Amino acid sequence: MQVKTNILSLPTEEFVHPGTRACTGCGLAIAYRVGLKALGKDTILVVPPSCLTVLQGLFPVASTKLPCLNVTFASTAAAATGILATLKTQGNEHTTVAAWAGDGGTSDIGLQALSGAAERGDNFIYFCYDNEGYMNTGVQRSGTTPIGAITANTPFKGKLQQKKDVPAIMAAHSLSYVAACSAAYPLDLYDKIKNCMNLPGTKYFHIHIPCPPGWGYDPRYGIKIGRLAVETGYYDLYEIVKGEFRLTAASEKIVEKRKLIPVREYFRAQSRFKILTDAQIADIQNQIDAKWAKYYKKDE
Amino acid sequence: MSGNAAIGEAAIRAGCQCYFGYPITPQNELTEYMAQNLSRRKGCTFIQAESEISAINMVYGASVAGVRAMTSSSSPGISLKQEGISYLAACELPAVIVNMSRGGPGLGSISAAQSDYYQSTRGGGHGDYRTIVLAPSSVQELADFTHRAFELSDQYLVPVIILGDGMIGQMMEPVEFKHEAPAELPIRERALRGAKGRNSRIIKTFTSNPAELEEINWSLFRRYQLIEKEETTSESYLTEDAKLILVAFGIGARIAKGAIKTARANGMKVGLFRPITLWPFPTKKLQELAKTTKFFLDFEMNMGQMVDDVHLALGDKANISFYGRPGGVIATPAEVLRVITRLYHQKGLDTKK
Repeated sequence: MQVKTNILSLPTEEFVHPGTRACTGCGLAIAYRVGLKALGKDTILVVPPSCLTVLQGLFPVASTKLPCLNVTFASTAAAATGILATLKTQGNEHTTVAAWAGDGGTSDIGLQALSGAAERGDNFIYFCYDNEGYMNTGVQRSGTTPIGAITANTPFKGKLQQKKDVPAIMAAHSLSYVAACSAAYPLDLYDKIKNCMNLPGTKYFHIHIPCPPGWGYDPRYGIKIGRLAVETGYYDLYEIVKGEFRLTAASEKIVEKRKLIPVREYFRAQSRFKILTDAQIADIQNQIDAKWAKYYKKDE
Repeated sequence: MSGNAAIGEAAIRAGCQCYFGYPITPQNELTEYMAQNLSRRKGCTFIQAESEISAINMVYGASVAGVRAMTSSSSPGISLKQEGISYLAACELPAVIVNMSRGGPGLGSISAAQSDYYQSTRGGGHGDYRTIVLAPSSVQELADFTHRAFELSDQYLVPVIILGDGMIGQMMEPVEFKHEAPAELPIRERALRGAKGRNSRIIKTFTSNPAELEEINWSLFRRYQLIEKEETTSESYLTEDAKLILVAFGIGARIAKGAIKTARANGMKVGLFRPITLWPFPTKKLQELAKTTKFFLDFEMNMGQMVDDVHLALGDKANISFYGRPGGVIATPAEVLRVITRLYHQKGLDTKK
């Protein structure tokens, strides 16, 4: 078990220029900044259309100091495979290929290419930053938008369907590494990236990203809301290393303390959940409790 | 009302019962309009698909079962839909596809452009087929042409494309909805509705017999000829006495009109020819104009696509110039006026009687 990184031991070198085009309080800016610190300079980034394209800037102008390729919406993982093929031809085994796509670009239109690459075991790291909707185009629902969330295209009753569990889908590909992270726990993200760097094949990261305009909260509360998602047991931080599942960071602590904050606090902090009724929230609370009862049982 | 919303309202009034969308700027207002207004109508379906490919193939499925169906997107998304459009054409299925085009190539930009002219008018996908292409230049026309698109599509059993752009889709103008759906929408004899109590119908696009495929293509070709004969439309504006005629479509024509008004005020005899159907291209009408006017200036927000059709129509019968702005840059009327003025003097039109 390696030593956990803290704010003092985090590398000071920055790979994201200050003054990106991200919104005020954007959770992605935090995850991206810390994520690139972990990936380091010997990295090629692959980015499809998404908020990150806006943050990133468009080729050949980018707000990062790392080489970055802008690819079509459906093809993130496929383009990464192409880059890997050339690196292999050139005898380059040291450069990391890292794809960063949004939840729409991963769970909806990009899933086919991602599944193909994962099944082949192509050696790259895939990051899905999950702000739970198509935020860049004006907040439309995606496969990972949670049930009950109001979006431009689910305007009345909120989304009626459950959030798609993409990390579970990726785990079903028998990957060497799958992680669920949050922008509110950047050091957990950093350590997980470092943990997986030398593992073979495709590595998958799912990062929960609070989004002020899409979720409806004051930009200064982003970290608080990201933490609430974890502390209420609504969104779990974990890693699956070669098939071994374990909770990490604040989620691990919940098991230790056997204490969950009521999920109502998470919902009521965001305007996108305003139509959720008390009965619906109670129902979701029951699901969360059942999930955590299993975690507790495992721990016994 | 915004142009995108006007399309949505017009489509609902035209009896569109199924709409399948996917987020992409600058057409999101249309998807949102349908989410708000179509989804609540009895028997109607709004789905935000998981990709543009799924959205066009949902249209394919809805159309084959016999309802009026529509999808919309913007340039990169329309590229993804091309295989589905080719299948729609092959199966002779009606569908309305809206392209609120933006700057390309690649992801390009989200600002208005007209660089999808080739793609729209040459079929776009694989195979020997055409789609009717309507190019509106106002919000009112977006509404009118949406209605027209459903009618043409049903009448000729071809996919119809409405080629707008990011500017026209997002600008706000007053709009009057003049058309309602016919009381009885056309019954599609070939629609697949299960084969209970009758022989099954088969709609397919694959044949292993080259002669059969040739016959299908001949039949499509004959229909395209009929459309060329019957449905070619255009607008001529101040062309009667014009010494120089601008050729422009969609929002480009709107910009050109502004320039022409000022040019006229400055004593230049300039007119506008605006193809409304980009396919079929109004070749004959343009040839008629070339009998009295020898100088043409083609203006497009791309680096010269429709100008090929102008050359094909006029050959060496006229002097054709071109002015374009590529990559999502929107030209101003003042800029087009400068080009007009320069050309007018260059060609000696201000001195010739």
